[in-house]
Amino acid sequence: MSPPRTRLAKRARLELGDYPVDAAWTADGRALVLASGEGEILWWAPATAPAPERLGQHSGGALALAWQGAGQHFASSGQDGQVWLWDARDRTHQVLSESAQWSEQLVFASHGRLLAVASGRELAVYDGCGALQARLPTHPGVIAALAWRYKSSELVAVFNGGIRWYRFEPAAQSRDYPWAGACLTASWSPDGRVFASGLQDGTVHFWYLAADENSQMKGYGAKVGLTSWSANSRYLASAADAMIVVWDFSGRGPEGTRPIQLDSHTARLTQLAYQPGGTHLASGGRDCRLMLWQPAKGSDAIDADLLPDEIALIRWSPDGQSLLVADRSGALTLYGLERL
Amino acid sequence: MSDRIPVTVLTGFLGSGKTTLLNRILSEQHGKRIAVIENEFGEVGVDHELVIGAQEEIFETANGCICCTVRGDLIRVLGQLRKRRERFDYILIETTGLADPGPVAQSFFVDEDLKEDFELDAVVTLVDAAHVRRQLADSPTAADQIAFADVLVLNKTDLVDAATLAAVEQTLRGINSTARLVRTERASLPLDQVLDVGAFDLDRALSVNAAFLEPPRPFEWAGLYTLPAGHVKLHTGAHESAHDHGHDHDHDHEHEHEHDEAHEHGHGALAAVALLVLPAAASDAAALEATVEAATSAFEDTARPAASGTHLVPGTLYQLQLGHSAHFDLVLPKAGIWAVFTEHHPGEFGFHVHGEAPALERAFGSHHHDAEIGSIGIADARALDPNKVNDWLSYLLQSRGADILRMKGVLNFRGEARRYVFHGVHMIFEGKLERPWGEQARMNRLVFIGRKLDRHELEAGFESCIA
Repeated sequence: MSPPRTRLAKRARLELGDYPVDAAWTADGRALVLASGEGEILWWAPATAPAPERLGQHSGGALALAWQGAGQHFASSGQDGQVWLWDARDRTHQVLSESAQWSEQLVFASHGRLLAVASGRELAVYDGCGALQARLPTHPGVIAALAWRYKSSELVAVFNGGIRWYRFEPAAQSRDYPWAGACLTASWSPDGRVFASGLQDGTVHFWYLAADENSQMKGYGAKVGLTSWSANSRYLASAADAMIVVWDFSGRGPEGTRPIQLDSHTARLTQLAYQPGGTHLASGGRDCRLMLWQPAKGSDAIDADLLPDEIALIRWSPDGQSLLVADRSGALTLYGLERL
Repeated sequence: MSDRIPVTVLTGFLGSGKTTLLNRILSEQHGKRIAVIENEFGEVGVDHELVIGAQEEIFETANGCICCTVRGDLIRVLGQLRKRRERFDYILIETTGLADPGPVAQSFFVDEDLKEDFELDAVVTLVDAAHVRRQLADSPTAADQIAFADVLVLNKTDLVDAATLAAVEQTLRGINSTARLVRTERASLPLDQVLDVGAFDLDRALSVNAAFLEPPRPFEWAGLYTLPAGHVKLHTGAHESAHDHGHDHDHDHEHEHEHDEAHEHGHGALAAVALLVLPAAASDAAALEATVEAATSAFEDTARPAASGTHLVPGTLYQLQLGHSAHFDLVLPKAGIWAVFTEHHPGEFGFHVHGEAPALERAFGSHHHDAEIGSIGIADARALDPNKVNDWLSYLLQSRGADILRMKGVLNFRGEARRYVFHGVHMIFEGKLERPWGEQARMNRLVFIGRKLDRHELEAGFESCIA
């Protein structure tokens, strides 16, 4: 029996008028926090208030946003070197940190109790109320990405020269997994078995942390700047240049198997995101195309849309039923997934 | 038209005047909105909203390929700046004095993000005229920064005398024969000399300096003297030098002071220098030229060490031991015209022939102290076979890419009305057919700048490309 066909249906639209740097869904999926190139932090609830509410502004531009799991807080950072922790209930914020280094990586653990902030080579971990829990300054390289293990207090930081694993509860522990290459992305399979990173040298590296094994997948023509796991932990999607490569971790794979290649994009990919709780994969690129795939079912896109400018952001709602897509000009489109 | 953002890379050792130049660029009215990425925090206009600090980070590959080495910090920071594209129209990257310019330049050709969004305009290297020779002796990075440059800004020229300045320029030209050389005091120069240079733009005319095209010589200077038979005194050192500072040498304090000053001028770095005297037929340029080949082969001999006071004879290569000051007795069998060849410019070690000025003198380029890094040029009118050129350059880049820092050229392909222009950074190569030759004489011109370059190997390779 063939699966029901799915398509993207436009539900709402917003002209931000500025580069959309980051966006984060609220836990209930009813609103989004947006960060702009000029540093504005905005609140957008498309169903109830079509115009966004301005919450504040990082001088010099925004860098990142993160929502607190099922909680009511979110964090923002900017080129002013500051990290702010916001309370969504009264829309106020406190300054968590300020440094000469930018804090480009902000990630809440899925349980929401811990927030990891990377600033240059330093990692700081705060609790959900903004109290500093740990400051870890001695990474071998600038931290390029962070990922928490799902429903856990384990974190991995990646950098030029390998990765470092941490556990923060009940007691702090860490372990290095050196690798001679510049790791760029951090993706932990939802089941926690495999940690994957895309590298500057055009490879993807897998670490099976519990088994203390690792493997390297080559054959990419360019740096691998995007990685995303399917919700069932079976597939890892990765992108280099205009090509999407999906590795199947079922059976003996992916080592020694041929990956699925999705090659309909005509320019470099900028966004790649598997659907939470589902099997769809969304991708966007400099070719201004948004594409929806189901890699397990085939290598043709199941739907696509052409935007006015290159795709800057793709963010799935927590329930996996809505998709925020922003292009470089600042046009935001909210899509719903419709079954035909 | 390209909408890529132009980038100038500013390199130079500590104290060379980078900060002064940067502050000038930021404060001057030039109609550009410039974002600055600094690897050294602090001194540059802190109020300027577009000054961004970044910690230098080198990304190497597992296979150790030097040509794939890029700067992670620049990729990251420029990626963020791209999101505020409309707020500026030029980017200036200031590297630390110790930074290897190779990975900085390569990032713009190797990394997909940078390649698409940014355009390397030029590598500008500031050179402290008073200290550069010492820096070259102390650190290989100084030579790399000079070798990589498209523009050499020779700064603080007011702090050295004319002879030292000439010697410094010789040294710079020996390392990098093709860079535009601009002399300044206090980093004061028209900004169009450092911004919008278009050094990597193949569409702009490739200007290759003609001076480099002659083969390099193992000596930097030659002079013709009319001398009597018998003993002639040669002097070296700050003491009684050609540009005597007029201090009282019997006074201890003054003596020390002068010693320090000599260091400042870069003379002090030379411990020994090779010298050769040969007979010449006349005191004109042709006669001097006629001795150059013989001198070149004589310089391949092992030099005989000569301490102060040693008697020297024509035809023997000596290694003069330079103290604070030294003198040597040149013993000549007959009166006549004599050519004196010195490894370094006389101004660098205070050389002069007692009571005599040269009737004619000439400086030679393409020579650097350790001969480790330098430029080699080839000029040849014969038409080339494009396939053979492709084979040669591919082989060259694969086998010597790590040593070739920069290369550029214009080629005359047989049967092709247009000129073929190319440039390269390590193994990265870009080339294309450009505008027609038209009235201009069809002439191949190639320049290689790098380490341990072998002229014979390069010439043989070029020869294999003749159509």
